[in-house]
Amino acid sequence: MEQIAFTLISLFTLACAVGVVLCKNAVNGAMCLLLCLAGIAGLFIQLHAYLLAFLLVWVYAGAVVALFLFIIMLLDMQGGKPLRIRGLQGAAGVVSAALLIVGLNLLAVRGKLASVAAPGHGVGSRLELYSDQLLTTYMLPVQVMGFLLLIAMLGVIVLSRRTDAAPSK
Amino acid sequence: MTPALNAYVMLSASLFAIGFLGVLLRRNTLVIYMCLELMLISATLALVAFSHFNGTEDGDVFVFFILTVAAAEVAVGLAIIVALFRARQTVQVDELDSLKH
Amino acid sequence: MNPVHTAFHVLMAPLISAALITLFLGKRGTMASAVSTAAAAFVAVFALSLALGGERFSASQEWLRFGSFSISMGFKFDDLAALMLSIVGVVGLCVHVFSLGYMHDDDAKARYFGGLSIFMFSLIGIVLADNLFMMFVFWELVGFSSYFLINHFRLKREAAAAAKKAFIVNRVGDFGFILGIILCYWANGTVNLSELGEASASSHLAYSRLIPLLLFCGAVGKSAQLPLQVWLPDAMEGPTPVSALIHAATMVAAGIYMLCRIDVLMVPDASAVIAWVGTLTALYAALCAVTQRDIKKVLAYSTLSQLGYMVAAFGLGSTGAAMFHLTTHAFFKALLFLGSGSVIYGCHHEQDIFRMGGLRSRMPATFWTFTIAVAAIIGLPFLAGFFSKDAILLLAYERRPAVFAVLAFTAILTSFYMLRLWKIVFLGAPRTEAAGHAHEGGISMTAPLALLAALSIVGGYRGLYPRGYAGILSLVPESRGSAHLVILLTSLAVLAIGAGAALSFYGMDGTDALEVGFPGLFGFLNTLQRSFDRFYDWYVDRVQQRLAMFLNFFDLVLLAGAVVRGLFAGSVEIVGFGVRALHTGRLSTYVYWFLGGVVVLWAFAAGVL
Repeated sequence: MEQIAFTLISLFTLACAVGVVLCKNAVNGAMCLLLCLAGIAGLFIQLHAYLLAFLLVWVYAGAVVALFLFIIMLLDMQGGKPLRIRGLQGAAGVVSAALLIVGLNLLAVRGKLASVAAPGHGVGSRLELYSDQLLTTYMLPVQVMGFLLLIAMLGVIVLSRRTDAAPSK
Repeated sequence: MTPALNAYVMLSASLFAIGFLGVLLRRNTLVIYMCLELMLISATLALVAFSHFNGTEDGDVFVFFILTVAAAEVAVGLAIIVALFRARQTVQVDELDSLKH
Repeated sequence: MNPVHTAFHVLMAPLISAALITLFLGKRGTMASAVSTAAAAFVAVFALSLALGGERFSASQEWLRFGSFSISMGFKFDDLAALMLSIVGVVGLCVHVFSLGYMHDDDAKARYFGGLSIFMFSLIGIVLADNLFMMFVFWELVGFSSYFLINHFRLKREAAAAAKKAFIVNRVGDFGFILGIILCYWANGTVNLSELGEASASSHLAYSRLIPLLLFCGAVGKSAQLPLQVWLPDAMEGPTPVSALIHAATMVAAGIYMLCRIDVLMVPDASAVIAWVGTLTALYAALCAVTQRDIKKVLAYSTLSQLGYMVAAFGLGSTGAAMFHLTTHAFFKALLFLGSGSVIYGCHHEQDIFRMGGLRSRMPATFWTFTIAVAAIIGLPFLAGFFSKDAILLLAYERRPAVFAVLAFTAILTSFYMLRLWKIVFLGAPRTEAAGHAHEGGISMTAPLALLAALSIVGGYRGLYPRGYAGILSLVPESRGSAHLVILLTSLAVLAIGAGAALSFYGMDGTDALEVGFPGLFGFLNTLQRSFDRFYDWYVDRVQQRLAMFLNFFDLVLLAGAVVRGLFAGSVEIVGFGVRALHTGRLSTYVYWFLGGVVVLWAFAAGVL
């Protein structure tokens, strides 16, 4: 049962990922990314990481992809050009992607990962465990994250200032 | 029967490779950025899978950080793209080559 | 006064004038013109006094010494130099006076007169030089002055291109010239003309066919012989008095003068080559002149043709005949050019002959002086050109009949195109309004014309020349007996045929009768005229540029990179070239390099590498 669900969801996710890459229109691509995120959230739920699944949907799909859509609609509504696999660059791209897929999958197959047994019940479904880790073991990264967010905010404000020339009379 | 770990890792690897292909071959900066995000998502999937099969929660917690970083990165990156668009009036990456020798 | 000092003052006066104009009178055109004309008058007066005074001298001063090799500067004032200096002085003064009127409204008068002065200085240097090195120095200076003056109308692109072309083509000839000088020094141990003359007299001169031919290269460039004649028609972009002085009377004649100076080095084989080059130039130029519409271009090709005559005369063995024709040519060609300047000025700067006409009644002084000059150049009996041209034809008849035939045919063409020019410009009715309102230019323009016309009439009578010139003029061949009659008949016949054909063939309707009636022939002559320029353009573009790019690459990358800066520094630079090429500015390239790096790290980690 879980296997079937996993297979379906993973196929769906892969199809949407391919859709992101192949879509001509950037908005369509953003939609495909959204669906891809939904698929990944499904996989997270299957891995018993419920909090993360919700976080993914709220933060990633809800904020980041929305921001993407805003910017796409601000900048690029001309329709867009399709993926062009021509010439040396196209060939090199396909070859390198193929190498990656084949290589990583071989690694996954040949490695000792298949023999790892699934634990009985998921660990990551209780908020206490997260907060416990976040506030003890991972305190430093949390603070660094705060700092990072501050800097990012400042950076965005600076970058999006208008660079006006002399005001028109 | 639950899927084995290598299934998740294979899926993550494939997603990563597809994202990489997109980064290489698409010419719209925004689409390249979305494919970059796809690569990040595949990394989070691998992390969660490993954490689940190991029985610890370290991987899950790490995904928090990845999410945060991804959000900050997207914000700043899109701000840069907007500024670039204002300067060059284009988001096609092959028209943005003024750093060439 | 000591004649050496006089000669020195004659040399220095134009230089001082040029210096004054450059330093102080840059914006004051009228003052500059006065200074320059005063210097020219000084030169004319004292040159004539030196020549007529009969003093012949040499003086020399060592200038540079490198071990056993020394270069000296000096004067060699013999009959040849006296004659040339007189011509330069008289014609120079006429042109200066003419320029006072012609260039009166020009904005850059000071620059123009400064250029004229520096030209006079350089040319007098060539005339007085006593050794080939000094002559070469002043040769290059003359080339520079010519460049400067052709480029007078600086803002015109054609003028700048023409000046560049003149200088570069002259440079090509000068390359042969300097090789000849070096070879002469190496073979004979000296380049001093007097010493070479003494060595020749005592048969100590090294026999060489190469030396005279290489030295002749300089004359080919300066006197615009085939194949370096391409610069002279373009040089007409300069103001008309410049064309009169430099490109008709004096500078182009400097090549002939130089040939006469090195007469002692000539050998029969070299003379034959020189004679044929001159003859072919005369023929080619005459063929080109027949189709020209611009009055100055006709005269330019005519100059080329007459220079060919002079070179042929020299090649046939007589410096006297060459110098005699040079003298008479200086007079009537300068007159023709100044007359054309008067015509251009009168028609408000119109140079197309088919837009003139009817100037006979409107500009009488110019008309009569121009007619005298035309008559002189076609060899009308009793005018100057008759005697000098006959001397050359006689020489050819006696020594090389083939050359005689070609020169006689060229004489027909000369009459033909000169009468064509004369008829279309002066006779008939005015074809444009500007021609209808033409008027004379004033005394400063008419007086030199009158003086030169007088000289064109009497210049042929060698008996009338003062005693001072007897030395050189006695070298002109005299005809005797049957040859005398043949030459006389030939010259009259060519005159009649050419003039008659031109007068009857060309109509007054403002079109070129040859173009209309015989378009094939006209087209052929045009192609002939352009052939040299086309060939040179092709050569520079296809052969020379490619060689230059290859040499540039070789020098930049291999020599400067690897060899000069040392192997390490050079290879660093070459590697730098390569690394710089990695900066393509394209995102995808950087991502590929990223992938490459990941693969390498991966292989490393997997133990493969």
